[in-house]
Amino acid sequence: MTSELFFQLLINGLLIGMLYVLIVLGLDIIIRVCNILNFAHGHIYTLGAYVYWFAYVSLGLHPLLSLFLTLSLIALFGVVTYLGIFNALQNRFTPYVSFSHRMLYSAMLSVGLMMILARGIILIFGGEERGAHSIFPQLITISNVRLPVEKLIITLVSWLAMAGLFFFIYKTKMGRALRSVSSDREMSAMLGVNTTWISLVGYTLGVIFAGLAGAMVVHVYAVSSEMGSTMIFISFVVMMIGGIGSYKGTILGGIIVGQMMSFGFQFLGGLNYLAIWVLFMMVIIFRPGGLLGEALD
Amino acid sequence: MANLEVKKVTKYFGGLAAIQDIDLDVFDSEIMGLIGPNGAGKTTLFNIISGFYPLTSGNIMFKGEDITGLRADVIAKKGIARTFQLTTLFLRATVFDNVFIGFHMHYRQAGWKALFHIPAVKKEELIIKQKVKELLNITGLTQLKDELAINLPHGYQRILGVCIALSCNPKLLLLDEPLTGMDPTEKLVMVDLIKKIRIRGITIVVVEHDMKAVMRLCDRIIVLNHGKKIAEGLPEEIIHNREVIEAYLGREDGEMDVV
Amino acid sequence: MTNKRLGKVIITILGLIILLLLPLVVKNPYWQHLFIMGLVNSVLGMTFSMIFCCAGMVNLGIGAFFAIGAYASTMLVIMGNWSFWLALPLAVIITGIIALAFGFVSIRNPGVPFVLMTIIFAEIVTQMTGQIQLFGGWGGFIMIPRPDSIGPIEFKTKLPYYYLILSLFLLIVLFLKGIYTSRIGRAWKAISLSPHLAETIGINVYRYRVLAFVIASSAAGLVGSFYAHYSQTIAPASFSGFFSILVQLYPILGGINFYILGPTLGAGIMTFIPEYLRITKEIEPIITGLLLLAIIIFFPGGILGSLINFPHLRLTVISNRLKEIRAWLSIIKSR
Repeated sequence: MTSELFFQLLINGLLIGMLYVLIVLGLDIIIRVCNILNFAHGHIYTLGAYVYWFAYVSLGLHPLLSLFLTLSLIALFGVVTYLGIFNALQNRFTPYVSFSHRMLYSAMLSVGLMMILARGIILIFGGEERGAHSIFPQLITISNVRLPVEKLIITLVSWLAMAGLFFFIYKTKMGRALRSVSSDREMSAMLGVNTTWISLVGYTLGVIFAGLAGAMVVHVYAVSSEMGSTMIFISFVVMMIGGIGSYKGTILGGIIVGQMMSFGFQFLGGLNYLAIWVLFMMVIIFRPGGLLGEALD
Repeated sequence: MANLEVKKVTKYFGGLAAIQDIDLDVFDSEIMGLIGPNGAGKTTLFNIISGFYPLTSGNIMFKGEDITGLRADVIAKKGIARTFQLTTLFLRATVFDNVFIGFHMHYRQAGWKALFHIPAVKKEELIIKQKVKELLNITGLTQLKDELAINLPHGYQRILGVCIALSCNPKLLLLDEPLTGMDPTEKLVMVDLIKKIRIRGITIVVVEHDMKAVMRLCDRIIVLNHGKKIAEGLPEEIIHNREVIEAYLGREDGEMDVV
Repeated sequence: MTNKRLGKVIITILGLIILLLLPLVVKNPYWQHLFIMGLVNSVLGMTFSMIFCCAGMVNLGIGAFFAIGAYASTMLVIMGNWSFWLALPLAVIITGIIALAFGFVSIRNPGVPFVLMTIIFAEIVTQMTGQIQLFGGWGGFIMIPRPDSIGPIEFKTKLPYYYLILSLFLLIVLFLKGIYTSRIGRAWKAISLSPHLAETIGINVYRYRVLAFVIASSAAGLVGSFYAHYSQTIAPASFSGFFSILVQLYPILGGINFYILGPTLGAGIMTFIPEYLRITKEIEPIITGLLLLAIIIFFPGGILGSLINFPHLRLTVISNRLKEIRAWLSIIKSR
């Protein structure tokens, strides 16, 4: 393997990995703050991609404007679906209802949403694959290795988004509220935190990240309506590998899986999924809490 | 031979020692009081003995058998039952069912036989139902037997909690703050019940804050503070013990009103 | 015998008679097909219901075990030349063993990890049956042989198939009824009400959960095997994608707390109504999705659950919704 190929696969893997990280971080926040296992997440990713494509290609808007539009629309979507669908359940749960019951019903709501979204996307945007040309088609050359600029930029943007997220969560007042609600909902409510509002913020934040990942993907890969189902499945695997309670684990898991997809595809073709499953099984058996997860008790 | 022997039990949560080097022996048919300010580690100790937390070091012997590290349901089958600080019941079931399930799990017919509803199983079920009625009678819950647990007044819920614990036929009963939240009448009923339980030969360890009740009930008392045992002895000795008084008076919620 | 009891017995007998005579009265093979699928779906719904109600866990990968039963039986008959009547029980056993292995590992972490693992497992099964030629590949198996004739009864029309699935259905119902009223069923009820307290009184929660899971999954394998020999084709597409998700809809629609009637009612409705309304494939997922949302938000007890509380529930649900909308508006106003 030439060093050029190696670095290209590496960058590719990093890009894919960061996409996973963004999506799964969003999923993680939604689970921890809202107690919702959001099955619609993969399709929100798809929605982000299609909306961006529509704005950039069909409407011919400037990429940054398209991105802004996409994120706003996704955020709006998040707000509407949270208040319209999920919030109905949050208030129904007295402390006596078991956690798994809550999770189940919220998860089923998200499944309903997923079904509507999946079919809705096809009906609105058509079922064909879409793609957009690169904005930065150049390659830069570092010591004889040519790397695609586009992918580097997207990876950079992902890192920035992620850093912004952590800044928000750990250094701002609202971020603190988010953390408090995710660790103990009842106590936070008693301390005066408006849990409905915070859950709304958490949910919207989560879906924005999924939408962001989707929008960024349009320039580098073809997007199809099937992406959502594949993506949600990979997200779950990444979550299990990285550990559900741990952001660091998610990042690690996402990057690892990304690299496995990249290198795996090169060497194993369609069977790269097999390599991921092997990793998954090993993690489940030897470290059921995920690589960096809290010990589940 | 002591019923329960706790030997040098220590439990660390992360870097913090919840309890350290606890040594205690509980003898057959005695009522032992476990007192101490909030946060002293009493409930932690209960959780360890009943198998809900693993301990960090030390061991626990029950009737001569080492039960360290066994799972909660295994320990229950060995004869240790407990109640909880927060009312823990099968809320959406009737009082009768709450108690019935406990007995049901301890009976001889194997599970798969139960599947076929053979006469032997039916007969056993009748016997168990009779025992449930007796127990409800003793604890004064007969009138409420068809009421949903969630609808009971708080005091009765606590009594039901004790009842459920008794349904497993325990030799050792761990009561975690049985009197909390009760009015004086309810407290009398509970204290009476606890005495009745002891008469039946069951050993009891009670965590309580109500010192009057503790003085009335307990044969011996052990005092914990900051996870360590600071005193052990007869009730009269304990209330005059200097360290114990300090431990309580040094806190806002000291309830040493017997002094 | 009380009036209520008598009423129940009469309804049961009536129901049985209807079920027995149904295909003789309705001779249209299309409708007979729907009856058969209705029964298959009922059992699948009961599977989900069992795992949820008895073990307190959510299994979103039921398709996997349905498939394992189907494929096991198919391969035994096609490649091993076994008779269907022997392959069927063995397929159930194989499904049970795999369920045991899976449950062993996954039930140690009930809750979110478990749900994810069921989904991933379903995907693995789909991929394995698709990618590996031995298991038929993406095209799957076609021309799966019909069950051998028993005496004069040949499996050429839908009629014998109907009675076969009906017998299996009744067998499963009887079995479940028996087990739910036994000590095992009581332990499950205790676990569903409070796993913590259940453990305190000596119930090995883990073991009972695994038991529920294995039984339920084996039932799924059973109907999977039947399905393979009924439709005579089986491919990864038969059980992947929304299959497992649709299955959870049946008990939720019918009433999650009614272990047997709920899924049956829900499956019945979901099998027949779409056909009756001629909903095109185009918007079917949207309708199903909306239905799922509507039920969970407005009628969490399902149909049977709501009927029981009918007048009371309607009013409280509506007034709750109004309160929620008001709260929602006030949030927007306060920001």
